[in-house]
Amino acid sequence: MMPLRSGTDMAVLLPAGGALARPVVDARAVGFTERTFSPAVLGALLALFALAVAAAEAHGQPASAARAGILATLWKWAPLLFSGFLFNLLVSVLSMALGTVAGLALGLAQVSLLWPVRKGAGIVTQFFRNAPWLVLLFYCMFLLPFDVAVFGITVPLPAWFKAVIGLALPVMANVSEIVRGGVRSIPIAQWESAEALAFSRRQILWMVILPQSLKRMLPPWMNLYAILTMATTLISIVGIQDGMTLVRSALIAEQRTELFIPMYLMLLTWFFLYCYPIARLTMALERRFAVRA
Amino acid sequence: MLKSMMKLAIGAFALLGPAAAAQAQDTLAKIKEKGVIVVGVKNDYRPWGFLDPSGKIVGMEIDLVNDLAARLGVKVEMIPVIAANRMEFLNQGRIDMILATMGDTADRRKVVGMVEPNYYAGGTNVLAPKSANLKQWTDIKGKKVCAVQGAYYNRRVGQLYSPELVVFPAVPDALNALLGGNCVAFLFDDTLIGSTLASGDAKWKDYEMPLASEDPQLWAIGVRLADLNGPFGEFVKKASTEWHKSGKLIELEKKWGIKSSPYLKATHEKLKGS
Amino acid sequence: MADPDLFGRCMADARGALSAFEAYFKCLADIERINFSIFYDSLDRGRFLVGLWTTVKLSVICLVASVAIGVVGAWLQGSRFALTRRIVQGYIQFFRNTPPLVQLAFFYFAVGAVLPRVPDGGQMVPIVGSFGWAVIAFSFFAGAFNVEIFRAGIQAVPRATVEAAEALGYSRLRAYGHIVLPLAFRISLPALNNNLVNLIKTTTLAYAIAVPEMLYAAAQIWSEVLNVREMMNVLLVTYVALVGLLVWVMGRWERAMRIPGYSA
Repeated sequence: MMPLRSGTDMAVLLPAGGALARPVVDARAVGFTERTFSPAVLGALLALFALAVAAAEAHGQPASAARAGILATLWKWAPLLFSGFLFNLLVSVLSMALGTVAGLALGLAQVSLLWPVRKGAGIVTQFFRNAPWLVLLFYCMFLLPFDVAVFGITVPLPAWFKAVIGLALPVMANVSEIVRGGVRSIPIAQWESAEALAFSRRQILWMVILPQSLKRMLPPWMNLYAILTMATTLISIVGIQDGMTLVRSALIAEQRTELFIPMYLMLLTWFFLYCYPIARLTMALERRFAVRA
Repeated sequence: MLKSMMKLAIGAFALLGPAAAAQAQDTLAKIKEKGVIVVGVKNDYRPWGFLDPSGKIVGMEIDLVNDLAARLGVKVEMIPVIAANRMEFLNQGRIDMILATMGDTADRRKVVGMVEPNYYAGGTNVLAPKSANLKQWTDIKGKKVCAVQGAYYNRRVGQLYSPELVVFPAVPDALNALLGGNCVAFLFDDTLIGSTLASGDAKWKDYEMPLASEDPQLWAIGVRLADLNGPFGEFVKKASTEWHKSGKLIELEKKWGIKSSPYLKATHEKLKGS
Repeated sequence: MADPDLFGRCMADARGALSAFEAYFKCLADIERINFSIFYDSLDRGRFLVGLWTTVKLSVICLVASVAIGVVGAWLQGSRFALTRRIVQGYIQFFRNTPPLVQLAFFYFAVGAVLPRVPDGGQMVPIVGSFGWAVIAFSFFAGAFNVEIFRAGIQAVPRATVEAAEALGYSRLRAYGHIVLPLAFRISLPALNNNLVNLIKTTTLAYAIAVPEMLYAAAQIWSEVLNVREMMNVLLVTYVALVGLLVWVMGRWERAMRIPGYSA
C-alpha cells in the first residue's frame, strides 16, 4: 500500500485535507552545501532596485549635460559610498573580536563556583544586555577620554575606536550569555567523568567542556555578528563617517530628491548581500550541529 | 579615511607618542614637530565644508584651513565634526582647532577659546516653501520647523517664537525632511540657506528665505582655552587679521557664491588702514 | 569638596521658590557643578517625561503590531500557494538582513517624500509622520523575527497533536487557532520575549528621525544645558530600569505559561 502523504501508514486513516497533509521535507536531506544565494530573493531585490531607478528617472528631471542620469550619478558616488560600507564592516569585525574576548571571560565568570564572582558577572551581563546599543554608543563617545595613560605612555583614542568599544559592550554581554548557555548545555555526565579522571576545574572547562560547547555556540555567535554588522550603522548618528553618513552627505551634495530611494536601496542591497549569506550559513550550521533530542 | 585610521592605529600602538600627559602644552610646537595640523571641519554644510564625489572635503572654510597650514608649512588632516561633538573633540585633544561654522557665544567661550577677529558673521533665518507664506518670525508659532542638533539658535528661536522644533542629528537629514514635507521650514544659518537657494537646483525653485535674518552671530575659529593666548592662538589671530586686511575673505566669499556679508565689508574697511 | 556652609546657604536661598528635593539639586549644580537639571528645572523635567512617555507609547504599539504581524506571517508561511510563501520569505529575509536604521531612513526620507500629502492646518503634510514611520519600520522589523519565532514554535508542536486534530475533523484554520497557536505560543515565549526586549532597545533609533523619545529629549537637554555626563547617566539608568522591568514581567509571564513536562 502506498504510504499516505501525511506520513502515516495506517490504512484506516483517509488522507486529510491537502493543506494539513503536506509532505515534510527532512531538513537533513537538504545537506550542508546550501545555496548561499537563493536566486529568487536576489532576483527580487535586483528587480526592486531597477524599478526604483526607473521610477526615479521618470520622477526627476531629464538627464542633461549638467545633470547626469540616476544610474550615472549612483555610479559616480558608488566608490566613495562603498568605502564607507567597508568601514562599517571593519568596525563590525573589530567590535566582534573585542566583544568576543571580553564576553568569553565574562561568560566563564558567570559559571564560576564563587558566588560573588558569579553574581557580579551576572549583573554586568544583565546591565549591558538591557541597555540600548545606541545609548551605550553615545555614552562611550561622549564620556570616554581622548587618550588613556597606559604604563606612563599616553595612547590616543580616536573617535572610531571609541565607537568600536561602544559597540563591543553589548556584544560582550551577549557573548557572555551565549557562553553561559553553551557551557550549561553540556550534560553533567561530562563534568562528572572529567572529575572522576582527576581533572581540575580549570582543566575541565578548557579541555573538556568548552571544545564541545563551541560547536553549539557557533550559530548564535554568527547571528550576533549579523546583528552587530547591521548595528554599525548607528555610528552615523554620533558623527562618525560611515556608509550611512556618506549616503546622507552625497544626497545633500547632489540635492536631488529623486536620488533618495535609489541611494538608500543601494546601501540596503550591500548590507543584504553581506548579511544574507551569513544568515544562510548560520542556519545550515545550526541544522548540522543541532542536538538531536 | 582608511589610511588615516591605519596611521592612528599604528601611532597608538607603536607607543611613539611624545605627547605628554597634558595637552595644554605648546600646541604650535607640537604641530610643527608632527608636521600635521588636525582641524575639525564640517562636511555637510554647503558652501563652507561639503563633500565632492571623490570624498574630498571642499569649501570656503577648507580654503582657510589650507591657508593656515601653508603658513605653518605643515600638512592638513581634516576631521569631519558636527555641532554636537566639535567642542568635545577639541578639548580632549582629538583636533587642534575648530573651523566648522561655530557660533561665538558667551556660554561657549567658557569651554572653548574663540579667536578674534571673527572670520564671519552669520544670521539666523529659515528656508521655507513659498507656499508656506511666512512673512515674519511670529508666523512660525506652533508650526513644525526642522532644525539641527546643537545649533546655538535653536533655544532662542524656540523660546521667542514657540515653533514645534523637529531636531535632527545632521543637516542632510533636516534638509531631506524639509523636502519631504515633514516640516514647514528649516531653521538654519542664512549662508547655508542662501547657498542652497543659489545653487540653481530646480528642487529649490519653490523655496525662499522669507524672514529677516536675525541674531547676527559671529563665527569663530576655536582653539583650546589654554592655547588662546599662547603661541598657537596668537598665530591664528594674526592669520585671521591678515585675511580681513587683505580682503581674502571677501574674495573667497565671491568664489563660493556666498552673498556678500556686511560684517566682512565693515571689518575689512576697519582693518585695511591698520 | 566645597564649603558645606556655602551649600547650606544656597539651600536656604533656594528653599523659597523650590521644594527641598529641587533645591538640593539646584545647589548641587551651582556649587558642585553636578548638573541634574531635570530634577530642578520644570521645563527640562517636562521634556524628559514627555520623552519617556513617547518611548513607552512607541514600544507598546510596536510590540502589539509586531506580534500581530508575526502571527499573520506565520499563518501565511504555511499557505498552500508557493507565491505567498515566497513573498513572506522575501519579506523576512529583507527585514532581517538589512540594518534597521537604514530601513527607518529609507521609509521616512525616501518613501515619505513620494507619498501623497494631506492638508493639516493650512499646510500640506505627508500622510505618515515621523512617529508613524517609526511604528511601521519597527513593527515590520520585529515582525520579521516574530514570524520565524512563531514558525519554529509551530513546527515544534508535535505532529501527533496536529494529526489528532485532523482526526477530530478540525479545518486547517480552526486547528491553527484552537490547537496549534496556543501551544506554539507557549513554546516560543522565551524567544519572543527576547525579541520584544530588543524591540524596546531598538526604539532609540527613532532619534534619527526626530521622534521626541527619551534619547531625543536627553540630547535636547544636554545640548542646551551642557550637562552631557549627568544626562547620559540618567538615560542609561532609566533605560536599564525600563528594560529590566519588562524582562522581569516577561519572566514571570513565562513561568506562568510554561508547559509542564515540556523540556526547553
